[in-house]
Amino acid sequence: MDAAVTSVPAPAPRPGPDSPPDRGTAGAGPVPGGRPPRPPGRAGRSRRARRENLAGYLFMSPWIAGFLLLTAGPMAASLYFAFTDYNLFDAPRWIGLDNFTEMFGDPRWRTSVEVTGWYVVIGTPLKLAAALGVALLLDQSRRGQGFYRAAFYAPSLIGASVSVAIVWRAIFSDGAAVDRTQQLFGLEAGGWIGDPDRIIYSLVALTVWQFGAPMVIFLAGLKQVPRELYEAAQVDGAGPWRRFWSITLPMISPVLFFNVLLETIHSFQIFGSAYIIGSQGNACGPADGTLVYTCYLYIQGFENSRMGLASAMAWMLLLAVALVTAVLFWSQRRWVHYEEAGR
Amino acid sequence: MSLARTGARTGRGHRTRNAPRTGAAGRVGSVAWHLGALAVLAVVLYPVVWVLGGSFKPNDEIVGSLELFPTDPITDNYRRLADGIADIPLTTFFGNSLLLALGSVIGVTVSSSLAAYAFAKVGFAGRGLLFTLMIGTLLLPYHVLLIPQYVLFQKLELINTYTPLLLGKYLATDAFFVFLMLQFMRGLPRELDEAARLDGCGHLRIYWSIVLPLCRPALITSAIFTFINAWNDFLGPLIYLNEPEKYTVSLGLKMFVDQDGVANYGGMIAMSLVALLPVLAFFLAFQRHLIDGMATSGLKG
Amino acid sequence: MRTQGTVGRRSLLKVAGGSAAALGLTAAGCGTGAGSGDGTVTLRYTWWGSDDRAQRINRSIALFEKKYPKIRIRTDFQPYADFWKKFNTQASGGNTPDVFQNAIGFLRKYDAKNVLLDLREQVEQGNLRLDGFRAGLEKFGEVDGKLLGVPVGSNSMALVVDRTVFTRAGVAPKPGWTWDEYHDALARIKERQGRAGDAGPYGIMYLYDLYLRQHGKAFFTTSGLGFTEADLTDWWTRGFERVRSGVYADPKRTIQAKPRSAVTAGLAACEFTWDNFTIRYASEGRSEYGLAPIPTTDGRRTGQYLGSLMLSGSRRTKHPREVARFIDFMVHDPEVGRIMGYDRGVPATTAQFEAYAPGDPVGKQIAAYEQQLVASRVLEPITPHPAGADVCEAAFLRLSEEMSLGERPVPDAVKRYFTEAKTALSV
Repeated sequence: MDAAVTSVPAPAPRPGPDSPPDRGTAGAGPVPGGRPPRPPGRAGRSRRARRENLAGYLFMSPWIAGFLLLTAGPMAASLYFAFTDYNLFDAPRWIGLDNFTEMFGDPRWRTSVEVTGWYVVIGTPLKLAAALGVALLLDQSRRGQGFYRAAFYAPSLIGASVSVAIVWRAIFSDGAAVDRTQQLFGLEAGGWIGDPDRIIYSLVALTVWQFGAPMVIFLAGLKQVPRELYEAAQVDGAGPWRRFWSITLPMISPVLFFNVLLETIHSFQIFGSAYIIGSQGNACGPADGTLVYTCYLYIQGFENSRMGLASAMAWMLLLAVALVTAVLFWSQRRWVHYEEAGR
Repeated sequence: MSLARTGARTGRGHRTRNAPRTGAAGRVGSVAWHLGALAVLAVVLYPVVWVLGGSFKPNDEIVGSLELFPTDPITDNYRRLADGIADIPLTTFFGNSLLLALGSVIGVTVSSSLAAYAFAKVGFAGRGLLFTLMIGTLLLPYHVLLIPQYVLFQKLELINTYTPLLLGKYLATDAFFVFLMLQFMRGLPRELDEAARLDGCGHLRIYWSIVLPLCRPALITSAIFTFINAWNDFLGPLIYLNEPEKYTVSLGLKMFVDQDGVANYGGMIAMSLVALLPVLAFFLAFQRHLIDGMATSGLKG
Repeated sequence: MRTQGTVGRRSLLKVAGGSAAALGLTAAGCGTGAGSGDGTVTLRYTWWGSDDRAQRINRSIALFEKKYPKIRIRTDFQPYADFWKKFNTQASGGNTPDVFQNAIGFLRKYDAKNVLLDLREQVEQGNLRLDGFRAGLEKFGEVDGKLLGVPVGSNSMALVVDRTVFTRAGVAPKPGWTWDEYHDALARIKERQGRAGDAGPYGIMYLYDLYLRQHGKAFFTTSGLGFTEADLTDWWTRGFERVRSGVYADPKRTIQAKPRSAVTAGLAACEFTWDNFTIRYASEGRSEYGLAPIPTTDGRRTGQYLGSLMLSGSRRTKHPREVARFIDFMVHDPEVGRIMGYDRGVPATTAQFEAYAPGDPVGKQIAAYEQQLVASRVLEPITPHPAGADVCEAAFLRLSEEMSLGERPVPDAVKRYFTEAKTALSV
């Protein structure tokens, strides 16, 4: 069978030789962006291709309308703004690459890149590890499963609200739960909230805490792992650790890939939690400790009325994330295991 | 082939993997499992319990307090909610949010599944390009799109209506859901729709009668995520709604605290818990289908 | 499960119909300043504040609509930061609300962007009265001869003190006390009560403005900064020394205490803030709080002025006359004064000031404080705020925080501040 989440197509790189072979029937191509399907006969081809095209565009029509109406225009506008001086009120003035020059020379911009990079690098793996860990724990037929799922999902329902900001202060301040735990383990004590170098970890803690969505997707993936494989491995005398590495992980790697990709993209765009937890007095503080990229973008665009500069920043981020996305798509050939789908 | 193999092993009642062994060893294992799960849960739910405790504290004991529970619990925070916020009854906020959330759920499930079907099952020209564009829409931070979109909706004279908040949902603009459903549809055994094709079924038929029913788990996943997102969405309602009567719960939550006046943290915390209930209910109602459903995706045709 | 699915689908369809209806129906009756057939005019009025302010304003509006049945007011409000985010988006889209709450830092900014209505013409036509304002407050919303905002309530910088701690330490603030006397008092509090004296004044732009005015300067000139790098280096160097010595509170702790103030959190014995913000202290903390005079340099001059929130109109409004009438009503009507109380500061007009006598101790203190300011004739005209002042304020707060935390050496912070301010003021 196919895994629940199978071959993920690459936007830029073409699928490699390892990707599942085309079936030769139109409509069955596993990879959009891959080679066009090769229909059987010449006469049938054009008629069939026309029909497929018509059907495809009919089905795509809401998306295409949405893209053209709501997304493409604003995206093109922001690309144009990136090369202008635009204060939201007066007409944008073309200034070429000035926004980019200013951005690269701005120490706060570099801070925001560092903070975001750190957040992505630490937060994403930890969140996915937590999600996978709990999913493994819950992937058993036990009593009260529904309760456990809901309870573990509950934090993810809360989102980033002022209440969360207050709770986070109550947990990560001097003498609070986390500080006391640190002391218990003989670690350097002190709260994280008032410390510009450590407050970012409280944001990491928040994203890790809200692991519900990837957990649900992992659970689904785990349910798909054929039980016979475990039985066979057990007969061969493989321990639980070995079974996890050689069966579970490869089998859920498509799901893992999906989660890695989307969590990475989301992490790069973190805004709400930084803005709500970090902004007491000034935005995304203290001392720029939570100045994540989109937060600085927001400050430049909305508080400093420099939408041109903010748009340039946005497109820089787009390029960076697109690059990471492309690398992930490229790398999946090496570590994502796709079933041959019983063909 | 694969269908038969997997069908046999994942049908309801056949799922015996990791099932607790019977006997004394099994019981010990079961107790250990529950203890372990509860221990993890205690850590995860600590902040939630703190909020719960905080909602029974008087206003001046909430911020900066390290205590989990109040020394002297009060219920004022909840009772005052009955008076509404800023002369607006709470039911207004909840009604508006519910309308938006359910409206979004319908929009996303319908429009995203259509687009996902085209990507997964229809071999039309330009598919690769459109797919790349779709992934591209995930990558731009929404803040730079905010003002061009606002100007657009203003030109269409749709400010202060729910249209700007819903239209995108009906036009599949959130690529996350298209992508999610696309992944599920690719997981469906190809034999099914190929067979249907040989029987002369068109795409619409295959979409409606074969793919959609098989994708119900994906639809439910999307429905739950959409509901939560729409319920918690703050920026959209903030920008587009100009009348308190149209405000959503997420806007109402912000009315308790402002720099200029006395902050009512108690009310805010109590409200944030009450606001959680519909989302929790929605999740509880659908979570069973969410996970069990996903597991059997494509296998129960 | 099958049946469940069907039921689900049917009820979902119902909701779909409902939401579709909502899409269509709500499209009616929008658009700014819409007029209808019978001559009724609708104005949009927005402000920042919490639900308490909203309730008071709603009651005031009900009075207005009774008096002017042909004018309808539609309201909309958010907390401060969200208010400006929304305002910016709407204003840049040309959809500014007809009337909105405004503050001094935004007058020039939005005037430069042609957002604000010059109300002078309406004054001349008799739709808006400028007489009857207290202490020359009517001048507050004037920029280059244009009337861009009408004050609703006055406020002034003040020193909020924890009275219990002050008394126990045996120190008493007095009018005209100097900065040296002030810091001696803080040191004594630190010594005797083991608590930092001040929460940290080094980052408060409006306080530094007063300090500069005591020296014949000011934070802003009409077009730029009114002080030198040497001035700021001096101010921040001393601030940092006092943080190190514990006379000012540990910034790490004041940061994590937020949104609670350092004074109510018991981290400091006093702090500088706007006098009308003191309402919060009593509700947040358990001690007794009072207002004290601003320290001086020469024993007399505090540099203080009366500031105020304002009501402004949109230049794009189709109904400037109605806008003026509404503002006039909101600032002059005695009944509105009684309803609003000191919510937005001490009422700006004599009529409203006299209509409301605060019953609570905090309100009484604020009234007494401002009356004493007026009586002692220390008040000065306000410093002008150039466009970009709001950005300058945010940078001042942030860089002083970095400096106080030791994240950035003072000279570096000063240099950085001047760079950022220059950019902000030139945009």
